[in-house]
Amino acid sequence: MNNYIEKNILPLVTKPITYLGNEVNAVHKIPSPEMIRFAFAFPDTYEVGMSHLGMKILYGLLNEEKDIWCERVFAPWVDMEEQLRLHDLPLYGLESMMPLNDYDFVGFTLQYEMSFSNILNMLELGKITLRSTQRKEAEPFVIAGGPCAYNPEPLSDFIDIFVIGEAEEVILKIMATHREWKKTGGNRQDFLKMAAAIEGVYVPAFYAVSYDEKSGVITAFTPLIEEAPATIRKQFIEDLDQAYFPDKIVVSYTETVHDRISYEIFRGCGRGCRFCQAGMIYRPTREKTVPTIQSKIKALIAATGYDEVSLSSLSTGDYSEIETLIKNLVCDAESGKVSISLPSLRIDSLSIEMLEEIQKVRKAGLTLAPEAGTQRMRDVINKGVTEENLMDTVKTAFEKGWGHVKLYFMIGLPGETLADIEGIADLGQKVVDEYYKIDRESRNKSLKVVLSASSFVPKPFTPFQWMGQNTPEEFKNKQRHLKASIKDRKISYSWHDSGVSFLEAVFARGDRRLGLVLEKAHQKGCRFDGWGEYFDLQKWTEAFAEAGIKPEFYALRNRDYDEILPWDFIDTGVTKKFLKAEAEKAVAAVTTPFCPENCSNCGIMEFKKGWKCNG
Amino acid sequence: MVKIQYQFKRSTPLRFLSHLDQQRLFQRAFRRANMPVEYSQGFNPHPRMSFALAMSVGLTSDGEYGEVIMSEDIDVETFISRMNEVLPNGLEIVSAKICDEGVGSLSAALSKSVYQIRIKVMPGTELTELAESIHSYLALPQIMMQKRNKKGKYVEKDIRPFIESIAVFADPEKDKVNVEMTLIYIEQQCVKPEHVLESINNQNSAVFLIDPTIEIHREKLLIKADA
Repeated sequence: MNNYIEKNILPLVTKPITYLGNEVNAVHKIPSPEMIRFAFAFPDTYEVGMSHLGMKILYGLLNEEKDIWCERVFAPWVDMEEQLRLHDLPLYGLESMMPLNDYDFVGFTLQYEMSFSNILNMLELGKITLRSTQRKEAEPFVIAGGPCAYNPEPLSDFIDIFVIGEAEEVILKIMATHREWKKTGGNRQDFLKMAAAIEGVYVPAFYAVSYDEKSGVITAFTPLIEEAPATIRKQFIEDLDQAYFPDKIVVSYTETVHDRISYEIFRGCGRGCRFCQAGMIYRPTREKTVPTIQSKIKALIAATGYDEVSLSSLSTGDYSEIETLIKNLVCDAESGKVSISLPSLRIDSLSIEMLEEIQKVRKAGLTLAPEAGTQRMRDVINKGVTEENLMDTVKTAFEKGWGHVKLYFMIGLPGETLADIEGIADLGQKVVDEYYKIDRESRNKSLKVVLSASSFVPKPFTPFQWMGQNTPEEFKNKQRHLKASIKDRKISYSWHDSGVSFLEAVFARGDRRLGLVLEKAHQKGCRFDGWGEYFDLQKWTEAFAEAGIKPEFYALRNRDYDEILPWDFIDTGVTKKFLKAEAEKAVAAVTTPFCPENCSNCGIMEFKKGWKCNG
Repeated sequence: MVKIQYQFKRSTPLRFLSHLDQQRLFQRAFRRANMPVEYSQGFNPHPRMSFALAMSVGLTSDGEYGEVIMSEDIDVETFISRMNEVLPNGLEIVSAKICDEGVGSLSAALSKSVYQIRIKVMPGTELTELAESIHSYLALPQIMMQKRNKKGKYVEKDIRPFIESIAVFADPEKDKVNVEMTLIYIEQQCVKPEHVLESINNQNSAVFLIDPTIEIHREKLLIKADA
């Protein structure tokens, strides 16, 4: 099959080299019967998936085991998919080019709700039975994890095992259980029962959900066997500094979204922005030490030859020793001409002098995220950035020669009024005004201020998990109002609403009944829904209608505080009580401080006995 | 500072690399091998390296040329062995030499390319007939081909001077032939082997089935002496 594909199919498709798995640092092993074959499946294209940090960690971790071979598989682009179907060839793992349905495990990472249709497409192309209860004995176990696994329900018809939380330790426990199971000669059900006993593992087939006939809300979520726990506790790595991180990562031949080393400096975030799911589910904050970071980055540069390193975290400026770290890294990097980049910088967390230290060479655009246009709205969402912070930052940036500034906002936040929308335009204007205050000689010759406003999608496990999303009409209205409020030609603003945000809201807070919709959408050919050119709202609308499901029920409805939510069976450590209190504070526009400054008792310290946040 | 000219092979595992992919690959390989590559000045420093020819996607070759400028002296054996340690399977440096920095660039010194092509032909094509057909093709005083120039206009170009020889041989696969073609560089211009095959199809009756399964291999790249 390999030769056939290489000779007859690859010359016909774009980026053929992304279907071969022979990159520098790709792992090739000699298979043996006892080997556990694991296919790590990223449900989007190679270019997108190769930038995903989680895959690099798990790929390295699993391949450290002599009896496990972890390979990669990505969503084939449409031209490759066409060829595979034409020649009746299955989707395969890159390194060995083995058909997907021959693996022991196919593991998906759930990064984005709009990738769900790609998951079904990849399973089908891999000739794996879509519905988990219909899978035959010899078929792979389909496993999934990642941020969207915190509401796994819409995918529960198709996934055998979900991993809730950070997978590094759990995945090895699952592999160990698999080895035990093989010795017993048990069947699929036996393995699933053994897996269900591992903390952090959720096997949806062992639970039943019932709904109220009239209102449609959940009335009960019931374990069906005693091995299935009523509550699933999320997993997290306590000692991040000692945690596994590979010394080598695969180096793509083609350009990927992030063509560089991405190194995690800490996990979690204590800022408590109320719209942000990551800030809630990745608690507690855990840092790596400066020496660990330095030595790991050195090793990765030597093994890959990359010339750019990006320090990854939810709020890089909040790393407790950021100034020392940057100084040390710039020193290390200077001779090898490696540049350091710091994405995810809060406006109030890092001085421009520091920024300059790193970006010595190019002045690319400066990207900042105020998220809301007025102080009142920023207080509602607990994004503690002030207008003064923003103006100070852009003033210094303009003085140093930056000419391109991009500002990120969200529209559709709770309690938002048109005055708050106008606030976005006002901020843009104030930024322009700051530029003109600088004298002509010092400032950049040209100015470009780009405003970007995305449609807010409420997420599970956030204080806003009970609110209905703004309707598509409300969004259109607000976007139009924003566009009309922008007067200056130096400010550019564009938006378009394809219906993706609405669908994202449906699946983010959906339940099991959406499985049928997903299946129908897949049958209609939906895939690459995150890609503008392939998203087809019409097909989705038909899928909902045929399944007899009203999407508005999931996206637009305000939930009561006492309603059973589809994800309530998961314990993230942050209590519902805390989320409710935050939701109430939001209504009053009262802020909650940064947790190292003042602990708000979110619950995470009670979750793990003996755990102490911030030291 | 010292300039190294090296010759390398690219084989099947990496034949789908684009020119830019290959550039990136070498840049990273130089780093992994700890090569003291010289960088350009200015806002966007890049390593001072280049290839004599841009390789098209799908091409394999036994003789490609590249150049790189090192900021420190390095001996040829070390260069070759360290690079081959870090280069992935599918690329291999076969020889290298140190030259004066002032020595002219390789792309200006190209002389000839010798290609081996495996291509499908119309079923029933007789090898001897095909050979005769090519013989008469080569006897033509002029062979005009439409080519798009830099401004996007179509101009006609006589490609006959660029062709030194074409020979056909049997291929183990039925309905395929081996074509051996030597093409000449004139003032850094050349003609592509696929275009020569297209042109043969146009002049005589179409016999070559030019599709993406064509295998083009550059067996030799000849440089003018004293380059």
